[in-house]
Amino acid sequence: MNYGLIQAVVSREWRTRVLKPSFLLATLLLPVVSIGFVVGAILLTESAEVNNTVLVEDAPGLISRLDRASGQYVPRCPGCFPERQNLNYHFTQEAPADSIWQAEGHTVLVEYDGSILQNQSGYLVYEKSPGASAKRNIERDLSRAMEHARVLESTELNWSAYQALKMNVNLVDRGIEKGQRVKGGGDEIRGGIGFMFSALLLLVLMIYGGVIMRSVVEEKANHVVEVLVAAVRPEELLLGKVVGLGAVAVTQLLAWTILSSLGFSVFQFLFDSGTIGQAATLGSGEVPADLLTLMAENDGLSHLLDIQWSVMIGGAIAFYIGGYLLYGSLFAAVGSSVQSEQEGQGMILPITAPLMFGYFAATMAVENPDLPILEWLGWFPLTSPVIMLVRIAGGVALWEVALSWALLMLTARLTLGLAGRLYRFGVLHDGSRSGWKLLVHWMQGHGK
Amino acid sequence: MTPTLSLSQLKKSYGSQRVLDGVTFDVPPGSIVGLLGPNGAGKSTLIRSIMGIVEPDGGEVLLSGQPWSREGARGIGYLPEERGLYKDMRVGQQAVYFAQLKGMKKPEAVASLKTWFERLEVQGWWDKKVSDISKGMAQKIQFICTVVHQPKLLILDEPLSGFDPINARRIIEEVRSLAADGTSVLLSTHDMPSVERLCDQVVMLNQGRVVLSGSSSELRETGWDGSQEVLFKGNDMAFTNALGALANLDSIGPTSISGVRKARIRLRDGVEPTDVLRALTQTMEVMEFIKVRPTMETLFIDAVSKVESETTAES
Repeated sequence: MNYGLIQAVVSREWRTRVLKPSFLLATLLLPVVSIGFVVGAILLTESAEVNNTVLVEDAPGLISRLDRASGQYVPRCPGCFPERQNLNYHFTQEAPADSIWQAEGHTVLVEYDGSILQNQSGYLVYEKSPGASAKRNIERDLSRAMEHARVLESTELNWSAYQALKMNVNLVDRGIEKGQRVKGGGDEIRGGIGFMFSALLLLVLMIYGGVIMRSVVEEKANHVVEVLVAAVRPEELLLGKVVGLGAVAVTQLLAWTILSSLGFSVFQFLFDSGTIGQAATLGSGEVPADLLTLMAENDGLSHLLDIQWSVMIGGAIAFYIGGYLLYGSLFAAVGSSVQSEQEGQGMILPITAPLMFGYFAATMAVENPDLPILEWLGWFPLTSPVIMLVRIAGGVALWEVALSWALLMLTARLTLGLAGRLYRFGVLHDGSRSGWKLLVHWMQGHGK
Repeated sequence: MTPTLSLSQLKKSYGSQRVLDGVTFDVPPGSIVGLLGPNGAGKSTLIRSIMGIVEPDGGEVLLSGQPWSREGARGIGYLPEERGLYKDMRVGQQAVYFAQLKGMKKPEAVASLKTWFERLEVQGWWDKKVSDISKGMAQKIQFICTVVHQPKLLILDEPLSGFDPINARRIIEEVRSLAADGTSVLLSTHDMPSVERLCDQVVMLNQGRVVLSGSSSELRETGWDGSQEVLFKGNDMAFTNALGALANLDSIGPTSISGVRKARIRLRDGVEPTDVLRALTQTMEVMEFIKVRPTMETLFIDAVSKVESETTAES
């Protein structure tokens, strides 16, 4: 291998693509658009929230009483109506006309009669809808207040005693490893993270595999290739092309990661400073918290800390490289055997079928990471890149990761050699024949 | 002197089809060798075998006396018939890339390319995109990319296709100049006039075999069939009588000069041109007496026809 020549090919492939205005635009625009979309959605949600002043018409007097000191009706169970953002409650036991309660500044009227305890139904009256979220909160608060009323009316228990009797069973996962109990659970969360890595890998392989194929077809079409293969061995040219385009992919992913991280940091700063996103936390009556604390306190998100991130990131990079070399060389071989991109599209399906199968298997792995078939697919080089990323996230022995990767790299090396051989025949082939028969013909060493 | 390129019994088959069948010839240093042959004669396969794009089944390729190697082949300046440039790259950037593939360092490549761009008057196109330049201009750039690394051996496949007559002459001059400086050239073309103008030697291929080879002048001399062109003042009857049994008269007719006639004759075996000239000058005024050698095109067609008729007879 002449690494100087490979480097020249890599450099050309990288420069001609990365320095294109369309590439720069796509690379800069995607994170900006994505972050803008998220922030926009939050701001839109905030601006859409309206202050609701709710008048509860408690005609049967089930949940309110007259406070003699203030002369106002107040809830019998103040804790049942917690302070909520954009939701203020007032109570009455009279039945005011709509024009009157509206003139008093109320936006919503809750109306029911004594049968509510049986049929559990009442009315929400308004001119402008309070919104689905506000309606849910009103229903929740009213239900609790009615529950309180029924407890007091139909049992001898007081409310505190009733609350103390309520049960909420929580099962904490415990796994067994080497005869020892260890922390368990969180399979879905960890599997989901692995699946995200797999999905991204699939996306990169499909996009950049297509770019490799197009590039080979283009070089055949503009007749540059004969000059190239006269100077560079087809295998070197192929490797340079695959690595060069891989470098373009890495550049784009890196740029997206950095820009997205910056965007997330800005979002986090704004969140923590209360500029955006604090409405929900304040409204629920909790102490305002920073974003990371909220994540750490979340049961599901805490499982993220269980993932061996060094193995996960290292494994992802290793399997991206192996998968990319393997599939990239296959895409190049297809490109060399066809005369147009459209022709190549028809031949891609059988190549990507194992990858797609692996992807669907990875979706199963999210639910059940210990399926035996996943172990086998993790050894099979055509599916291992997508499967192993899910398995690594779920927790797998390091030797399994290393062996699976070694098998993948060995296959990638053999495929690269085979693709180079096909490429040698294919790039100079300008006949009308193309397709799998031709590729098999070349594999047997018959070329022109 | 060691030939720059030496081919010995080169063989190549595709399936049952034999494309090269024991091709043997040399390209001496500083010479221009024309490679001729009809379509499908095996010229492209021969060139690709020399370049290492195609692996021959047998025979030997020596580059300056050394067995073929990838490094040796990389030093060859190769201009293929099917050639092109990346449309999305700038001219200068692309030329530097090709020079780097030939083993040149970037600064060295840029300096050499700048010289060549000035020499062929395309310096204003360095920063243009290939998609913005004409086909003829692109051909010039391709020629520059072929010679930029000062190769010892140039292989040019139809180098003049796409050029207008003025630029074609310019390229011919450059090829001559390179040969004069010691570069050996293997020129594959169907353009017979350029072969006659340029080539010191000619190799004719047909059905994968060398059917004719030698220096252009030798071949034309060897292929001479006794034809002479005569310009004379006199009448046709006297001319015919003077020829007698020395030569056959192929044609005779007037010229644009009043009273001057032109005849095409073919000497009979064993007759020297001086014998005929002496006989004619005894009875009339002979103004020109020119030996008419066959053109390369005639030799080419004759050689191909001969092989084809032999093949037909064998089968």
